[in-house]
Amino acid sequence: MNNELPATDPRVKLLAAKIKKENFKPDALIEILHSAQNSYGYLPMNVLAYIAKALHLPPSRIYSTVTFYHFFSLKSKGEHTCLVCTGTACYVKGAQAILNELEKKTGLKAGQVSADNKLGVQVARCIGACGLAPVVVLDDEVQAKVTTDEIINKIIDKIGTK
Amino acid sequence: MNTIDIKINERSLKVLPGITILQACRDNGIDILTMCHLKGLSDVGACRLCLVEIEGINKLLSACTTRVASNMVIRTDTEKIKRYQRITTELFFAERNHVCSVCVANGNCELQELGYKVGMDHIRYPFLFPECKVDTSHQYFVMDHNRCIMCTRCVRACSEVEGAFNWDVKNRGFQVRVISDFDTPWGESITCTSCGKCLQACPTGALWSKDVVQGQLEKHPEMITELVEKRKLLLT
Ligand code: SF4
Ligand code: FES
Ligand code: FES
Repeated sequence: MNNELPATDPRVKLLAAKIKKENFKPDALIEILHSAQNSYGYLPMNVLAYIAKALHLPPSRIYSTVTFYHFFSLKSKGEHTCLVCTGTACYVKGAQAILNELEKKTGLKAGQVSADNKLGVQVARCIGACGLAPVVVLDDEVQAKVTTDEIINKIIDKIGTK
Repeated sequence: MNTIDIKINERSLKVLPGITILQACRDNGIDILTMCHLKGLSDVGACRLCLVEIEGINKLLSACTTRVASNMVIRTDTEKIKRYQRITTELFFAERNHVCSVCVANGNCELQELGYKVGMDHIRYPFLFPECKVDTSHQYFVMDHNRCIMCTRCVRACSEVEGAFNWDVKNRGFQVRVISDFDTPWGESITCTSCGKCLQACPTGALWSKDVVQGQLEKHPEMITELVEKRKLLLT
């Protein structure tokens, strides 16, 4: 594991600023993890090591916290993410068919990331936008009342091929 | 000193306020089954073996984390409690791979003893047979997750007594595992001081020293209690 984070990386600057803003308080671990995951998309091991050092927290405590909350992820979710809501409202409006089609077209199952790390497919149970069902979230952008073709086209726009 | 009146199994007792029900029982020679409790360490109520019935409260409470209150009427010996203890014990055995006959701790294991104590003759639950690692990367010690019952005594001994914080717990539910540092091999730990306190704290054959032979393991959890007691000398 390469422990050093490149100081020139804007994400590292952001992280350092956040830690400073929280006064290096161990209690702020969750907030700091939140902001790290926001800028990295997930929590790489060297980022966790960096946080452990800065806050004087045991690695085991940090790892325990990260794996306790489903929100945190240790694995990259892909450069682009496509999240299909399978909550009740979206399900009724055909979310499952969208998901099936998407899985077939991309060759990825929900929860998987493509080998080139370009695309990750996820599911969620109700994102709280039921009026817009069926909902797909592409890179944090909510796509309302979608059809499979629309989504596939948008994905192609984003990642080029496939 | 001020005392309060409580009743345990019909016996009227005078006890110090603020102590746990467990301590009140132990001080008065009343037997109570425990697993995650280790005197000297904080109590977390993880194993659910020390459940007691308290008059006026319709759920069972863990004696190790519930404090006495005046005029509390406590029972430790009802059929209901015995039934639960039996279930809990069976679940311990069903959750991972406890094969006593090939375990280093055979004959010296708190879990095995517990099985005898609650009269467990068979297990009514399907075994989960999870795939568990055996971490032999440490120079002197072994961590066999197959035998771990997640009492977290090692975690607390390591953090509260040694202050090293090598151990913690990852995940949730039946996915929980004891971890070293970033879930990295124990032998690569940057926090472990190789003090061996976790080995003494562990009630089962999950943590042991490489120099013991099968069935020859000896554990001394009371060493942890002693350490905590003696440390108080520094404060006086
Ligand atoms: S390794 Fe031993 S002491 Fe640690 S949680 Fe497992 S059974 Fe308990
Ligand atoms: S069910 Fe999809 S947003 Fe509520
Ligand atoms: S000893 Fe009380 S819950 Fe384990």
